[in-house]
Amino acid sequence: MNTVQRFFRRYIFSTIGIMILFLTVNLVLLFTIIIVGSMSGSDDAFSVGDFSDHIVLQDGNWVADDTALSMLQDQSAWAMLLDENGDVVWQQNLPENLPRSYTSAEVASFSRWYLEDYPVKIWTRTDSYLVVVGYQPGALVKYYFSLEWPYMGVMLGGIAAVFLINLLLIVFLILRNTRKVERAMTPILQGIQNLSHGNPSHLDEQGELAEINAGLNRAADYMRKKDNTRAEWIRGVSHDIRTPLSMVLGYASELEDDRALPQEARKQAGIIRRESEKMKRLIDDLNLTTKLEYALQPVHFKDVDWVEISRQAVSEVLNSGLDSRYEIVFAETQPGRSIHLLGDEGLLRRMLDNLLRNSITHNPQGCKIVLSVGEKNGYCLCTVSDDGVGIAPEFLKELNRGDDIASTQDSDGKTEHGLGLKLVAQIVKAHQGTISFANNTPHGLESIKHEQKDFLTASTPSRGLEVKITLPIQPHFS
Amino acid sequence: MLMTNHKILLVDDDRDLLEMLLSIFQRAGYTNLLTASSGSEALRIWREAQPNLIVLDVMMPGMDGFSVLKEIRRTSRVPVLMLTARGEAEDRIEGLEIGADDYLAKPFLPKELLLRVGAILSRAYPKQNEMVELARSTVDMANAEVWKNGEKQTLTAKEMQLFEKLYQNAGRIVTTGILCETICGEFWQGYESTLYTHIRHLREKIEENPSKPISLITVKGLGYRLNLKEVSP
Repeated sequence: MNTVQRFFRRYIFSTIGIMILFLTVNLVLLFTIIIVGSMSGSDDAFSVGDFSDHIVLQDGNWVADDTALSMLQDQSAWAMLLDENGDVVWQQNLPENLPRSYTSAEVASFSRWYLEDYPVKIWTRTDSYLVVVGYQPGALVKYYFSLEWPYMGVMLGGIAAVFLINLLLIVFLILRNTRKVERAMTPILQGIQNLSHGNPSHLDEQGELAEINAGLNRAADYMRKKDNTRAEWIRGVSHDIRTPLSMVLGYASELEDDRALPQEARKQAGIIRRESEKMKRLIDDLNLTTKLEYALQPVHFKDVDWVEISRQAVSEVLNSGLDSRYEIVFAETQPGRSIHLLGDEGLLRRMLDNLLRNSITHNPQGCKIVLSVGEKNGYCLCTVSDDGVGIAPEFLKELNRGDDIASTQDSDGKTEHGLGLKLVAQIVKAHQGTISFANNTPHGLESIKHEQKDFLTASTPSRGLEVKITLPIQPHFS
Repeated sequence: MLMTNHKILLVDDDRDLLEMLLSIFQRAGYTNLLTASSGSEALRIWREAQPNLIVLDVMMPGMDGFSVLKEIRRTSRVPVLMLTARGEAEDRIEGLEIGADDYLAKPFLPKELLLRVGAILSRAYPKQNEMVELARSTVDMANAEVWKNGEKQTLTAKEMQLFEKLYQNAGRIVTTGILCETICGEFWQGYESTLYTHIRHLREKIEENPSKPISLITVKGLGYRLNLKEVSP
């Protein structure tokens, strides 16, 4: 799952989370209101049943004790006691306008509704008498609710269904809207991501966000144009410099070989020749690294012999006249076994050549270089190690972090690294491989964590730089 | 110093570079040199003088090197080495496809240019009775024969192919793969043991002591190197 998809999944989950939170808070609030409401009312404090117990028949007369009178006074209420015939046999504070006798129909009516605007509560005593307590108008609200049971079941089920349907509808709409936004936004976000990685892409300029897509396309075109201009400029400069450099190289070589010249002059001509050769390599590296960076160099994948390429790279360096201060050892971890991979022969040879020359360039005092090749679990392996000065730990960290390798300085702060390692990293990347760098003791790390831990060089030097490369035998093409 | 009377035509629009090329070839012992600074001039001189080899610059105003080569290839197989400031693989492939014998990108080392020209010339114009002097034997290239201690031995076709490849790169390491390809063709994998057998036979013919070779040296893990007999100054 990429960043964009992750973003939208998080958005959906957070929206559903907000809904659940919203419902929970509402339910909590509802119950709180009910509890607070029930606690704030005086209804519980006055029970008609309790009140009825305080009305008793004494010597043939109905009387209420002080408690009953006090309860009525607290509620500003009135009360009456009806016998079986509906006649009032006892009353307290009964308004004058109310009748003193009631029919069954009247009793049935006020028991559910109001008695002349007075809200009333009734209580049937054990002796079949009826206690009626009346409150001041507006003190109580009476509501009568009656439903047939089948309808009640349907209604409750219906309420639950409506609630559920609403919930599902909301979730569906959220998902649908999010999906719509995701569909519109994904290409844009992907385009921005591609731009940030230096891979401009073209977006369809349609729909509501066409203007944004067009803007991104303009940015991509601008970036591409800028890259091409830069690459063309570098190519032009490197082309223009080739002919004059040929002359410098040619004449310097001639002077170096001219036995008629004084020894000192020939030595100086040799220095010019060597420096010109460095410039030649730099131009070649610059040209190739630019083309790889801006994808102007097509990688020609074909079946190549990894061991033979490595042999040719080492031979090329040895054939170019290597100084006796240097020793190059070629080792195979599986001697006699040919290893084939899909790769660009020219680029792979250049990669190995750059690694070998990197060790030579940065160890002017001389060193032993070991190039070891092998194969394991579908990967071609290569280790180039030397027993030279190594590199500064901080630069090593930078190299292993996978940052873009730029021109930088050596551990002594004097020798500047060329584009050699940058080019190596680019070629490894173009072949979907991995590269890691390590310093041997006493310069820092002893070894590096690697997938192929048991892959060791034939005779690893005790110090210096070690570069490990793994290349898939069969790269995946998207 | 090598003295050769092969006629070589040098073509480059940059007169300073042309002068330098002239100097390089003269110092190397080439005495019959011609120069041209444009495509049309090169074609004219080629028609009139019929050189043995042409060193041809690609980028020239007017008629470029590729066009000149196309015109030459209509009627002639004269060896051509393309010299160019354009180092792109596509350019190199285009040049070789048109029919160039070799391709060298600027800036170049004079030694490399001379080695390549020498290799092309020896392929195109094999010397009659050319004798290659080794430490303990002499190889007669024309007759594929080896003279050692006054005795003559004949080289087989494969041994001769191997020896020619090594001789063209004398003093340089030639990898196992390249040597296998020379005797077995493009699909040489798996034929390494055949190569080792031919090398052993070749050593038996050219070395005094094949188990301690001094002319055909094994470079461990890489390949072989042929050392010619050192000539005292």
